[in-house]
Amino acid sequence: MQPASNATQKDTSPSALRPRTSGLARVGAAALAGALALTGVTAATAVAAPVRASAVGTAARGGLTYPAVERQLSAVETPPSSKVSLLETGSTLLYPLISVWAAAYGKIHPNIPVTTAGTGSGTGQSDALSGTVQIGASDAYLPPTDPKTLLNIPLDISAQDIAYNIKGVPQTTHLKLTGAVLDEIYAGKIDNWSSSVIKGLNPGVHLPNEAIVPLHRSDGSGDTFLFSTYLDDQSPKGGWVAAQGGPGTQVQWPSISSALAEQGNQGMETACKSTPGCVAYIGVSFLNESIKDHLGEAQIRNGDGQFELPTHAAIATEVAAYTTIPTNAAESLIDSTSPSAKNGYPIVNFEYAIVNEKQPNAATAQAVRAFLAWGMDPRFGSTGKHLGPVYFQALSPAAIQVSLDLLGKVK
Amino acid sequence: MRAPAAVPAVAGGSGAPGRAPLVIGRRRRAADRLWWSLCAVALALVVAPVVWVITGVVQRAVSGWSWSVLTTISTGVGGGLANAIVGTFVLLVGVGLLAGLVGLGCGVYLAEIARPSWRTTVLRSASEVLSGVPSIVLGYVGYEALVVGLHWGFSLLAGLIVLSVLVVPYVAKSTEIALGQVPLGYREGGEALGMTRSHVLRTVVLRSAVPGIATGVIIALAISVGETAPLLYTAGWTNSYPTAHLLHAPIGYLTYATYTFYDDPYPAVRALSYDAALLLVLLVVGLIASSRLVVHLSQRYSPERSLGAGRRSPRPLPAGTAEAGVAAEGTGSL
Amino acid sequence: MVTAVAAAVPLGALLAAVAVLLVEALPAIRYDGWHFLTGSAWRPGNYYGNPVRTGGVLHPVGASYGALPLILGTLESSVIAVIVAFPVAVGAAVLVVEKLPRRIAGAAGFCLEVLAGIPSVVFGLWGVLSFGPWLARDVYPALTHLPNVPPLDVFHGPVGAGEGLLTSGLVLAAMIVPIIAATTRDLLRQVPETTKEGADALGMTHAEAFRTVQVRWVRTGVLGALVLGLGRALGETIALALVSGTVLSSATSIYGTMTTVAATIVSLLDSAQTDPTGLAVRALAEAALVLLVITLGVNVGARVLVRRSARGAALPIGAGF
Repeated sequence: MQPASNATQKDTSPSALRPRTSGLARVGAAALAGALALTGVTAATAVAAPVRASAVGTAARGGLTYPAVERQLSAVETPPSSKVSLLETGSTLLYPLISVWAAAYGKIHPNIPVTTAGTGSGTGQSDALSGTVQIGASDAYLPPTDPKTLLNIPLDISAQDIAYNIKGVPQTTHLKLTGAVLDEIYAGKIDNWSSSVIKGLNPGVHLPNEAIVPLHRSDGSGDTFLFSTYLDDQSPKGGWVAAQGGPGTQVQWPSISSALAEQGNQGMETACKSTPGCVAYIGVSFLNESIKDHLGEAQIRNGDGQFELPTHAAIATEVAAYTTIPTNAAESLIDSTSPSAKNGYPIVNFEYAIVNEKQPNAATAQAVRAFLAWGMDPRFGSTGKHLGPVYFQALSPAAIQVSLDLLGKVK
Repeated sequence: MRAPAAVPAVAGGSGAPGRAPLVIGRRRRAADRLWWSLCAVALALVVAPVVWVITGVVQRAVSGWSWSVLTTISTGVGGGLANAIVGTFVLLVGVGLLAGLVGLGCGVYLAEIARPSWRTTVLRSASEVLSGVPSIVLGYVGYEALVVGLHWGFSLLAGLIVLSVLVVPYVAKSTEIALGQVPLGYREGGEALGMTRSHVLRTVVLRSAVPGIATGVIIALAISVGETAPLLYTAGWTNSYPTAHLLHAPIGYLTYATYTFYDDPYPAVRALSYDAALLLVLLVVGLIASSRLVVHLSQRYSPERSLGAGRRSPRPLPAGTAEAGVAAEGTGSL
Repeated sequence: MVTAVAAAVPLGALLAAVAVLLVEALPAIRYDGWHFLTGSAWRPGNYYGNPVRTGGVLHPVGASYGALPLILGTLESSVIAVIVAFPVAVGAAVLVVEKLPRRIAGAAGFCLEVLAGIPSVVFGLWGVLSFGPWLARDVYPALTHLPNVPPLDVFHGPVGAGEGLLTSGLVLAAMIVPIIAATTRDLLRQVPETTKEGADALGMTHAEAFRTVQVRWVRTGVLGALVLGLGRALGETIALALVSGTVLSSATSIYGTMTTVAATIVSLLDSAQTDPTGLAVRALAEAALVLLVITLGVNVGARVLVRRSARGAALPIGAGF
């Protein structure tokens, strides 16, 4: 699978990331403008209409706006009146969120109990295909060769953060790095933080003479897919990612003696904390921990050449730039070169529900549609209250439209 | 118990009470002391991890302990472990029944019914070999064959079958050994009273083998409680309480919580990982203690042929019972 | 009749498991060939490209499975475990049998049972949260100052964060100590008193008597227990998934992160299911088959060894627990 794992959003204000739990609410309509993510200040409640409405230029598909897609969502959100039990399994990254949804949804619609399980994206995909569960949660979209009856429906947006641990570089500095430089670091070609290439990107920052220890994930992970996609995108001449067969959830890392591999985001986090000189890609869900552990957070170069932190605004901007999301939603959100993504954060991804379009009966199909629509709805499942703790971000109106179209196929 | 040495002894030395070593040189005495010191260090190294693991688990769990862990289900962002606790007990009952019955049958057949032949050798060896198969291999096979192959999905039955296969050899072995230790006189006495052989087996022999069999079952349960690898891809996991469905309904269990939650971004979820570890340790220690209790009680009430007596005998055991001694208190007494 | 069926269950389960693994692994065996045992790259290929067919097996472009680092990691960590556990277990057993009062010996025995019963996931949790970090902070740095001569030079190298080969070996050692210690204890108790008395009469110290007399009585059985402990270490899964680092390459130093066959199966089985050609899952079946062959060879060897010795007591059954 791919994309994956983790991420989530955070809203850091430009200067320092301050943990937020605030509402993230719906991001403004697309567009840039930073869409708005509401920072802590804008409380989730406040958010709603005004913020969205003010969103600037939205672009998305014919100027889709939140009110427009929310009307459509409302139409889908009516569950069947009979009792229908839904089963969900899959991504451990989505598991907390879907579990929260299940609990909240159960209170509103006691006749639609949703049972959740975090077993991994792979299981989510295969169980949805086999019909064992109605909803498979996945950090990655499906390979094109998978059966066409299987849909990947975007639910929310996640992101990935590049962390480092360099003595003497304060947390507020936010080193600038590019995909090409990271590519060379992971290939062992750049092996010291005082390298002239890194210094060139960061004039004025005092970089110590310290060996770089690149960390990567040892388990098959959507994080690895996101990160290797980003490296590949930013290495037009073809870096090692292309040479070893392209991006994947598991890639053949160049064999360099200093590299370390870790299991899970927590493993990356812990190892980076205890390994001076490390650089690591970590799901934004772990940003709070990163900050607590005194890890630095890099500004990385996007497709437009700007250096960005994974703030709410930058993530929303990136997503909003994808105005033409393919109808099957199998879209990598990495490193958009669209001009409207000028201030977008480049490593962003959808979190998906994997659903078989052929459900056993009409009531089950209706329940699946209603529950997922409710979940992605910025007024219900995707409010700041629900998304904040995992740092996910609500879909853009364009993405919601795509999800709605896909939900419509579930029969 | 040992005869004192005839030669004048020097105090000191080592050894069991009553031992009176010969005059020994300083060097040899030093070597002897070194030997015992090393043994003491070794014992300390055995005990240390037990103490450290248990205190570590207790500390982590107790520092954030809340009794609601026992009564609320997990939510994915916190909650409790009630679903995993109930699930673990459901699995235990299932394994106790399934592996207990199959293992009992297996042991009875090998000890009482079949005549020793190449066939029983093969069956017995297969059981031993099975006990050496890594649990993840059985888990993988269960996943491919039951969950995917038979379309059972993650389910109670898939988990139960894999766990039971894993522990049947333990029950079978302890049953066979316990039956082998029933004195011949019991059977002869029964038959002299005119009972049929199967009647003797059911009423006399099996009954007197109960403690040994029970110990085997308890050990099997202790193993089941602690398994993770064979369940991850067969029983799955769920936030809900177990349902009445054997198929297509995943089930929660404590080892999953420990394995999966320990690196969760939510502190409340991480705490559940430690809580689950504590509950696991308590369950296992409780089961081991109860197996000891069974042995103890059986010794007290039937001193003649208690299970433990064999192994504690100071004399070498006859060939057959040597085996019994080791296995009677469970797998190797461990 | 019913009991005969029950008695056939272990054999049936064993045969069924082997059959399932063989069937599942067949495409991977055809695709990987001997390279599976000699290759070092574990690469699933590009799931998002168009799959291609090689030798009749559909696979993602770039797929290549070489399990050598997994197999080496399995063997290395288990060997470390046995080297550490063996003297500790035997020393403890000797003390318990020969020196300690019965009551304390009973308590030590209970400790052994508890140690054996602690779930491997709890060992793993302890290894990854407490033991490993402690080793990396307080022990490994000191080890690197050992003289740089063979064999002590293996302790030189970056100590890492506490997940890796040596940590894995030590955690495994704690897990197999009970198997070896309990068996040794039981064997020592079976050494005839007369032989001990004979040694006493000759004026031997205990150390001498142990070396010359008791060892002869117990060595085959203890060796068997050791091999059985090795078998358990080889198949251990969850504890190693937590403390090995689960890197798909061999450890670069004794502290280096690594993985084992069992840990790889458990950590990759989920993501393997996203391979649209299914080859990734089958490669794991092949890995499971390799693991099965290794552990069965070791277990059967242990039992044969013990059976052949005239005085051998039995082994505990099972590498589990």
